[in-house]
Amino acid sequence: MTAYLLNLATLSAIFGILAVSLNMLVGYAGIFSMAHAVFFGLGAYAGAQIALQVIPDVLLAAIVAALFAAACSLCLALPALRVRGEYFVAASLGLQMLASTAFSQAQALTGGIGGLVGIPPPMLLGLDVSSAPAFLVVCLAFLALCLIGIRLLMRGSFGRSLMALRDSESAARAFGKDVAQLKTQAVAVGCAMAGLAGALFAFQEAFVNVESFTLEQSILVLAMVIIGGVGTLAGPLIGAVLLLLLPAGLSFLPFIPPTDIGSVQQLIYGLAMTLLMIFRPAGLAGRSVGQR
Amino acid sequence: MLLLQLLASGIQTGLIYALTAAGFALIFGATRIFHVAHGATFALAGYAFLETAVAGVPWPLACLVSLVVAVGFGLFMDAFVYRPILRHEGSFFTVFVAAFGMVVVVQSVLELAFGRSFVSYSSTLTRATAVLPGLYLAPIFWVIIAVTAAILLLTGVFLGRSRAGIGLRALSENPELLRAFGLSARRLSALAIALGSALAVPGAVLMAATSGLQPSIGPHVMLISLAASIVGGIGSLRGAVAAGVLLGVTESLVVSILDTQWSESAGFVLLFGFILFRPRGLLGQPVPR
Repeated sequence: MTAYLLNLATLSAIFGILAVSLNMLVGYAGIFSMAHAVFFGLGAYAGAQIALQVIPDVLLAAIVAALFAAACSLCLALPALRVRGEYFVAASLGLQMLASTAFSQAQALTGGIGGLVGIPPPMLLGLDVSSAPAFLVVCLAFLALCLIGIRLLMRGSFGRSLMALRDSESAARAFGKDVAQLKTQAVAVGCAMAGLAGALFAFQEAFVNVESFTLEQSILVLAMVIIGGVGTLAGPLIGAVLLLLLPAGLSFLPFIPPTDIGSVQQLIYGLAMTLLMIFRPAGLAGRSVGQR
Repeated sequence: MLLLQLLASGIQTGLIYALTAAGFALIFGATRIFHVAHGATFALAGYAFLETAVAGVPWPLACLVSLVVAVGFGLFMDAFVYRPILRHEGSFFTVFVAAFGMVVVVQSVLELAFGRSFVSYSSTLTRATAVLPGLYLAPIFWVIIAVTAAILLLTGVFLGRSRAGIGLRALSENPELLRAFGLSARRLSALAIALGSALAVPGAVLMAATSGLQPSIGPHVMLISLAASIVGGIGSLRGAVAAGVLLGVTESLVVSILDTQWSESAGFVLLFGFILFRPRGLLGQPVPR
């Protein structure tokens, strides 16, 4: 039971990082990405390869994964610079579909459908952090770093320019903000954090395959951000914990057959997304529009 | 001959995509609602047809049931999801997320009710015979061509000639002026959604009879009609139809070069390319950035 709870807590921390990083794109920069699982996946594969080929050091794997995901984020930044709104959503959906196929086909790098197995237990600067409580602490530390990083960034000039951009691109341009550069940087930072979460995820599961990086995952992360509250610091965390507890909670209900849990879970969060948009578009943690 | 066979099956899927994309483009063009739940409409229409037809109801009646379900779902979305959201805030993303939530809901309801596996409707029309050496076509191929042509022609005539059709085009161009002429924008957008949803029915029925259905068809069709309406140029019905066929044929022809796994992605490469290099699409107006 404790092992189960520790696992859940670690996953919450990892998905917390993921949701917070997507919130940076959706909430602060106004870039509605439906392809966040792609960068999560890129980070996971990069981290897993580092652990398998070089050394199973969490810090090294996380840094490499973050850099790799940031480099690949150009795929998302390019359409973000060209188009907005519906068009960008469509482009990111296209990217997501493309990447899922690429992940399952690039046998040499990703292990194809079978995935990468036998990722060695994690170390941190020579220390063994493979026990569940130790790894939870590591993940929480990374989560805290990400939160502090975002808080600092968003309070500073970068964050304020970004939010100006989200609210009115032409006004921001008129004030002499370099729109292209700001957007590219925001996408790079957001995707780097997603990559970092991916590396942690690879260590936690000791196994990665394409199943975790599909459109469904992107939607789940987006649901976390939206249900929690777009553009707030705590919202995505609340959303991540809620949506991870949901399947766990459902499995305790005796009248739902285990094979249907996935569908019931989807039903609930789909419904939650629609109802929240109708009655409380700012999410659970968000302030209503008038107060902003 | 393989190429010809692939081309034929590409056209077959492409026409089904074209019908669905036309519905999506009609709704988006007239109301500016990014109706991603169109995929859910498609899935519901397909299952409604299949379940009633399998239960022994004659097929024209089953088509009618499917039509009622599709239009009903479209109007439900309009009245209970889009209207309330558009009444107070209604940024594009709010509408999109709400509609997307419904796609997820419909998919999981279908999974719970009918299971995740493929189901299909078989009839004598789907039995393939050799038309040329190496080219196998089922009679339904010609049915699809005829149905698509007839429906698109009818829709074109309706939009071009009838009073309501002209109203719909006016709605897409200038909703303010529409009100000045004493027409109700609300009623017209409900009409656009009903009509667009109805356009999903023939595609769904034909899909049930050819490649079969599965609950995840909803998101899949949503992606395809979205891709087709952007590649074709947002709001352009003709563009959406051309792009639907183009996507179907691309998906199918790619199989002759690459692994079948890439077939679905090929369409999205096309979409990605269009967004980067020609965001206005095949026949659309320039996009405001």
